[in-house]
This record gives sequence, structure tokens and C-alpha cells, in this order.
Amino acid sequence: MTRTKKVTKATLKKIDTIIGNYQGQRWGLIPLLHDVQQAVGYIPPESIPSIASGLGLFPSQVQGVISFYTQFYTEPRGKNIVRVCRGTACHVRGGKTILKLVKQELGLEEGETSPDMEYTLETVACIGVCALAPNIVINQETHGNLNPKKVARLFEGKRKK
Amino acid sequence: MVINTQSPRVLERRKLLVQLMLASHPDSCLVCDKGNQCQLRKLGTEMGIGLVTLQRIPQLVAIEEANPFIERDLSKCILCAKCIRADQELVVEGAIDYIGRGFSAKPATLNDMPLEQSECTFCGTCVAHCPTGALMEKERAYHGTATKTVDTVCPFCGCGCILHLEVKDNQIVRAKPGESPVNHGTLCARGSYGYDFIQSPERLTAPLVKVDGEFQEASWEEAISRVAAEFKRLKQEHGADSLAVLGSSKCTNEENYLLQRLARVTLGTNNIDNGSRLYSSASRVGLGQSIGFPGTTNSLEELEKSEVIMVIGANPVISAPAVGYAIKRAARYNSAKLLLVDVRPTKLNPFANIWLKPRVGTDVVLLNGLARVIIEERLFDEEFVARKTDNFDELSQSLKPYTLEQVEKVTGVPGQDVQRAARTLAGAEWASIVYGNGITQNVNGVDSVMALANLAMLTGNIERRGGGIFALQRENNAQGASDMGSLPDFLPGYQSLDDGQARSDFEKRWGNNLPSKAGLSAMEMMEQAQAGKLKGMLIVGENPAASFPRPSLIRKALSSLEFLVAADMFLTETAKLADVVLPSASFAEKDGTFTNFEGRTQPVRKAIEPVGSCRPDWKIILQLSKEMGQSMPYSSLHEVMNEIEELLPFYQRPASADLEKEDVDWAELESDSVRTRRLYKGPFPSGFGRLSPAEYAPPTEPSGNGYPLTLLSGSVLHHFGSGTRSLRSSRLKEFSPSSWLEISRDDAKNLGLGDGDPVRVASPVGELTTTVRVANSLPSGLLFMPISFPDSPASELFDIKLDPRSKAPSLKSCAVRLERIKP
Repeated sequence: MTRTKKVTKATLKKIDTIIGNYQGQRWGLIPLLHDVQQAVGYIPPESIPSIASGLGLFPSQVQGVISFYTQFYTEPRGKNIVRVCRGTACHVRGGKTILKLVKQELGLEEGETSPDMEYTLETVACIGVCALAPNIVINQETHGNLNPKKVARLFEGKRKK
Repeated sequence: MVINTQSPRVLERRKLLVQLMLASHPDSCLVCDKGNQCQLRKLGTEMGIGLVTLQRIPQLVAIEEANPFIERDLSKCILCAKCIRADQELVVEGAIDYIGRGFSAKPATLNDMPLEQSECTFCGTCVAHCPTGALMEKERAYHGTATKTVDTVCPFCGCGCILHLEVKDNQIVRAKPGESPVNHGTLCARGSYGYDFIQSPERLTAPLVKVDGEFQEASWEEAISRVAAEFKRLKQEHGADSLAVLGSSKCTNEENYLLQRLARVTLGTNNIDNGSRLYSSASRVGLGQSIGFPGTTNSLEELEKSEVIMVIGANPVISAPAVGYAIKRAARYNSAKLLLVDVRPTKLNPFANIWLKPRVGTDVVLLNGLARVIIEERLFDEEFVARKTDNFDELSQSLKPYTLEQVEKVTGVPGQDVQRAARTLAGAEWASIVYGNGITQNVNGVDSVMALANLAMLTGNIERRGGGIFALQRENNAQGASDMGSLPDFLPGYQSLDDGQARSDFEKRWGNNLPSKAGLSAMEMMEQAQAGKLKGMLIVGENPAASFPRPSLIRKALSSLEFLVAADMFLTETAKLADVVLPSASFAEKDGTFTNFEGRTQPVRKAIEPVGSCRPDWKIILQLSKEMGQSMPYSSLHEVMNEIEELLPFYQRPASADLEKEDVDWAELESDSVRTRRLYKGPFPSGFGRLSPAEYAPPTEPSGNGYPLTLLSGSVLHHFGSGTRSLRSSRLKEFSPSSWLEISRDDAKNLGLGDGDPVRVASPVGELTTTVRVANSLPSGLLFMPISFPDSPASELFDIKLDPRSKAPSLKSCAVRLERIKP
């Protein structure tokens, strides 16, 4: 868990307020984690001990739950989440190359976030629009039938690099 | 419903699963420490799985642990989660849980740090439960597969956990937790890894006799006859009361019984005491006066069922880990409310519902305040109080001054917290009170204990199952040593010396007249030795020159004796001063019984032959008595136990009288074994409990006057007592080699101190040097120092002022000042 930015006191305070809503209620762990993620964008590992003590759990248990679910993040994420599909259909139609290109465009490896907190690059197993393969999803928007040119256009102007 | 576990289909599936596990398991069985105990290997053998034909998936995980206790090799992990359950459900530490999922899932600490940087206490419970070699004991002195196993009792704290010792070639290979109602398959680091002091190269192997100031090895005959001759001479020249015997709260019941007989009959003096004088005599006196029974009233299993548990002046997680585990289990899994009274936060804090922080030494005021609220608001158990106790009016009269305002003023605990705590305590059907040395070693110890007994009686929590008083004992047989009469003012079984009937019973049995004058208590022996009135002493298994307050004065006192004999396993600070040193056998080298803090009497079993020519203390005592012309008529330890059972009201086997009671524990009666026998049988042996007013005496040496800080002393998890054994256990020593001083963040900042800085600690009577550790949790103005390091003995700082009733010095807190040592 390498971190780029230290979590601020204001953020921790925000989290403490959320913990207060679930004080002593063990069942509330997952809703609480969602709330934290909604408010902060991710779950700062620094907050794990206080989440645990607020709910009457062990920090290791809280970490176990966070690390089990892929939708919980322990690192800050970019404003834009780029998900490249690595499903079978996309793979057959060149998804691997698309991923390579996106990596080049953003200058990021899988799972990384750009230092300016603009982009986070992820891969997904399938997004269900195999007919348009290869696909990528930027935030809520799906882009299909990709080729190198389209990829370049997608990120044109958005990256200053 | 029939569940078939052996049908061909089930077997086929199981076989495949085991094969899959083996496919990702390294082929290191031949050198794996778990060896024949590996359950994966056992399953594979049972199912006839030979070479695994599946494609192998090697797990390449580096082993990286810097601690001396546990080695984790996750390539052997089969993800059974037993370690996680042991950690979370048995010892309730929560250091590990799964991290990740799928192929990357593994048990890990928070942030996947090495164990030594996590909450892990190295209790070894997970290692004992791990079915494969994923968790193994590290750095053992002796490797090998056990050829026999012996269940015995742990020799460290007062819990009395069952140790399952594995033995090969007369060496202990391993110590594992045994199943018992005390430890339920758990241990602590001391129990799991502290046993190797037995094989320490520092063990004495032959008797030593001092000739011209130098120790020389001697034969047992020479050494014993020298001791007998000297004791006879001193008795003749100066009278029997010029001799004294200090017994040990680490020796067995039988040994203590023989030792007090040696003192009373062979030497002819009541000058006999044991080391528990320093920490449990306040309990003995206080509880004896209040409830008529000087010890714990309930079992650990009942503690775990309590609805409310009050822990005061104790850090059971460290001083009595099995009790700590039970309290944590009760709080986390039985929803027990935990009421914590401690000025210093402990590892119980995350489990506590209410935390009261009274100023050091003001416990009595707080307890009286609680009692006053309970009476004022009529929360007490009126029926119980009316039928089973007396003195109620006197007590309520004495509580008048302890108003909430007054309590807040003296203790610093807000009135509303006192109120809330009192209501919680009184509102429970079953409430338990756990206290330890923070109460008994403090000023007002006896009064605090009586105030606690008052609370238990007012709330009707004495006779109920699940509610009671738990007096923690520091050492394994502190309760037993006192039960056996290693006390200057009591015959065995707390029968008073003034009780003519009891005396004549013992006189008849032993065929001798007994001295009637009460003898010297441990600290008084030191005073008399210093004054030259005491001439000879026999010290068995105690190390007063390190564990008593002001070791330098104690050393002077012991040196001024004409003749000192020490029986010990090591050449301790005390033994060095002796004229004759007799090498004793360790707990693993002898038979007998220990009585734990609950009053449970459990068998100690011999696992290995004594090292060198060491002998168990009971043999030494018998031989010495014979040499002095008073041979004791016991041919075996069994005969000693039979006599104890016959003469001690508490130790009698469940008699037919018990059968008339309604709630007879049949299992206990049928087995009639020592193991399940408990001492406390029902409420108030005398028929009623006495509510006793407890008085508060303000500290005589308030902070200030050039000594602005308050030093608390106490035990630490990876050492024990004054360190005689734990500092000779190679792994415990490696993990925690030298003493330290904990200081609050604020004080450290003010004094410009940081971790590892050397400091001089000075009290009005002594000083020492040590290094600083900044503890975030400590409130400012307080310091903490462990007592287990004789090289910088915290006890040097305490003044010897005896409580007139318990005859014990206050050893918990004192005023000190701190100076930085310039490098």
C-alpha cells in the first residue's frame, strides 16, 4: 500500500463523523465503508483502526473486508476512472493492444493513479458489450469499436504529456 | 439425520481436495518441524495419496520474521483460518485476519507487516493450532520429535494453565497449550516459549559451599550436613527464633507444607513466610475479614459468563493472560459490560464500556463512592444483604462523607461517571470484580480489598455462579503456599496459631509441641537480620535480593546473617550471598500440586530427570530435617497430600456433606481428582459476610518537593517476576533484553527526551539509570517501569514502609524525579 498523499485531518474528521453514525454496530461495516468511500473517494488505511474501534471489530478484520471486495479502494483515485476491458471478446479483437496504448497515453500502469489525480487506470473482465469489442469505459461512458486512432483521440487534449 | 462422511463419493471429493492442497504445498516434510504432527500429511496418508499427479503450483513466499518465537512459512498455509480463529476467538487479540481474496488470500497482520510490528503478543496459540508447518516455533534449543508428552502446570503466573510438554532425550522439545477449564487451548509467550530456562547453561548442577568467600562444589551429604550442623548450633546458641525460613510461591503445595513443618517442628520457630507476602497479603487480610475466605470465590468459566466485569488495579492481559483472554471473550462475544478502573490505559481499553481514571492511591475513595451511590439509590440486593451479611448500618454510616463531589475532588473521576459505574455494577444479575497488584501493593491495600468485598456483597455477587471476586495472584502457587501455612501467623489452612484445638490437632499429628508466638513476616525477617537478631535463614526458591524493595538494603541484611542457605535453580542475587547453595529441580523435574488463583489444585508432573544432581525441594527438605534429627514420616508425595487433605479444611475431598446440596457438581464428585477440585465451596464459611468500613489514608509523600513525577511499577508480558527465570530463557531475553522507563509524550517533550535516551530516575530513597520509551497512552505526570530487570531494579526506588495489617510494603507507586544523562 504505497501512498502518494497523506490523508488530511479534515478528512479523518469527516470519517469520524461517519463512524459516529454506526457506533458499536458490527453489521454496519460495509455500509460504513461505502459512506466513507462516497465522502472521501477511497478508504484511507489510516482510518482503519478508528473504524474498527468504533464498530467493536479488530483492525485486521476491517482490512480483511476491504481487501476482499474489489470495489473498496485504499488509495486515492483519480477524477476519471478508465477501465479497459480484458474480457475474451475484447481480447480476440485486440484488447491487449488497446490496453498498451492507453497505458502509453496516460503514462500509467494498471491500478495506478496519475500524480495530478486526474486518471486512474484499471482493467475489467467484461463489461457486457462484447458486440462493440474492444471496449473501454471512462467513468460511466462506454467507448466501443476502438482502434489506435480512436484511443489517441479519446485522450487528446485531456493529457498534457 | 445421518451425515455420511465416509461414503465413496465423499471420500473421492475429499481426496481431490487434499491432492489440490498438496499440489501447492512444498515437499519439505522430511525437514519440516511439524513433522508427524502435520494434519495435512496425516490426511494424505489416511487417504492413501502418494505422489501428487496434479500440476504443481509452487508458492514462493519468503520467510521473513525477526522475532525469536514464531516463524511463518505461508507456502505451507492451507487457508484453514485456524490461526485467525485462535487469534480472534480464543486470545481475542485481533492481530491477524485474511487479506485479499482468491489466489492472493492469506492470513496477514494490519498492513501486512511482520508479526513483531503488529499487535501480536507471541502467545503461540496459533502455532499450536496450525495444522501444517505454516506456523512454527522458531529458535528452539533442541530439535527432535517428541517421544513422550506430559501434562503439567505452567510455572509462571497465577493462572495455572495446563502445559503440554513434549519430551525427547530428557529435554523439553516443545510446550503446547493443554486443554483445561483455565486456558482452553491458549497460552501466553511465557508459557509457550519461556520453558527453556530449564536448559539454561546457568543452571546449578551441584551443591555449592562457600569456603573463604569462594563457592566450591560439594556433595549433597557434605552440604546438607553442614547446613544441619550450623542450624543446630545457631538454635542452641541463640534460640530457635534466631532462625527463619522463606518459602516460595513458586514451589509446590507439598513443598510448602513440608517447609512450614520444617520451620515449626524441626527448627521450632514460626518465622516462616513466602514471597507472596509482597503482593497478596492485603488480599488475604482484607478478604479474610470481609468474606471469611482469603481468595477468589469463583472460577474463570463463571467470570466469562458475567454480565458486568469490573477490572481494577490489574492488567490481566499481562499479569494473568488467561484471565485477560476470558475477560476479552466475555466482552466481545458474550456482550459483557467491562468497567475498567485504571489510571493507565491497557489493552483492555478497546473492550471497555466505562473507563474510570482515579488518581494513584485513591481507589478506596472511588470504591466507597460507588458503594454510597448503590446504597443511596437503593440498588443493593436487599435480601442478600439482610440475610447473609452484617454491619450494614455501620457501613452506610461510614460512607456518609463519600459524596459524589468529595469523590470527584479526591479521585478526579467525574461524579456522573461514578454514578453510571455504580448503576452498571448494581444493575447486573451477575457481576464480577477482578483486582490485582494495583490494589494489593498500593497504599491502603487492605482497605481497598475490603471496599471491593463490600461492593460484591452489596450487589449480592458472592454466592452466585457467574459473579464474584477474583483476586489475581502474581505467581503460580501464591495461593497454595499460603494455604499450606507458609505464613508466620497461621497454621496450614489459615488455622490461627491461637486456636488451641487446631494447634493440638497438628501437635498430635506431628508429635511435637508447636511454638505459639507468631513469627516474623518476610520483610520483618530482613529487618531483624539487619539488626543482628536473626542469625540463620533458609530461603527456598525466592530471590529477595532482587524482588524485595530496596535490594541494596536487603543484600546488606542478608550478608549480616551468620548463616544463609539458598535452594534455587540458579546462582541468583540471593544465592550469591549464601553460605550453602542447594541446586533445586525445576517445575518440569518434579511432581506435586500447584493451586492457582481460582483455588484450583492441579497436578504438576515430572517430565524430565533433574539436570545434574539437582533435587526437588521436597527431597531437600526431608533430608535436611532427617539430618537435624527430626525425620518426617513420609515415603512419598502422595502421603504428604493425604495428610494435607486430612488436616486442611479447605483441601478436603468433596465429602458426603456436599451430596446434600442441591447443585452438586456430579462430574467433580465422580472424578474426585485433584485436578477438578476447587477450594471455595459456597458462600461465607463463617455463615455470613462482614461489611467492613474501609478508610482512606491520603498518601504521606505527595508529589512535589522536588519529586514531581509518579512512578508506577508493574510486570511486562515477556518477562516474569524479578526475571530469575525469564531472563535466563534465551528467547524471552532476546526479545526484551533490558529495562526501560515509559514516559508520557508531554513529559518527554518538556524534558527533551526521546526513545532510547538514557536517564537517571531518583526517588527520596534511591536511584537508578535506564532508557526512555515514549508511550503515547500514558497520561502526563506518570511514569511506568517494569520490575523484571535486576540490573536496574525499580524496587530500589521504593521506601520500605510496612502496612501494619498486611505487613507488606507499598510497591506500586512512588514520587520520583528524572534527569537526563548527557551522552
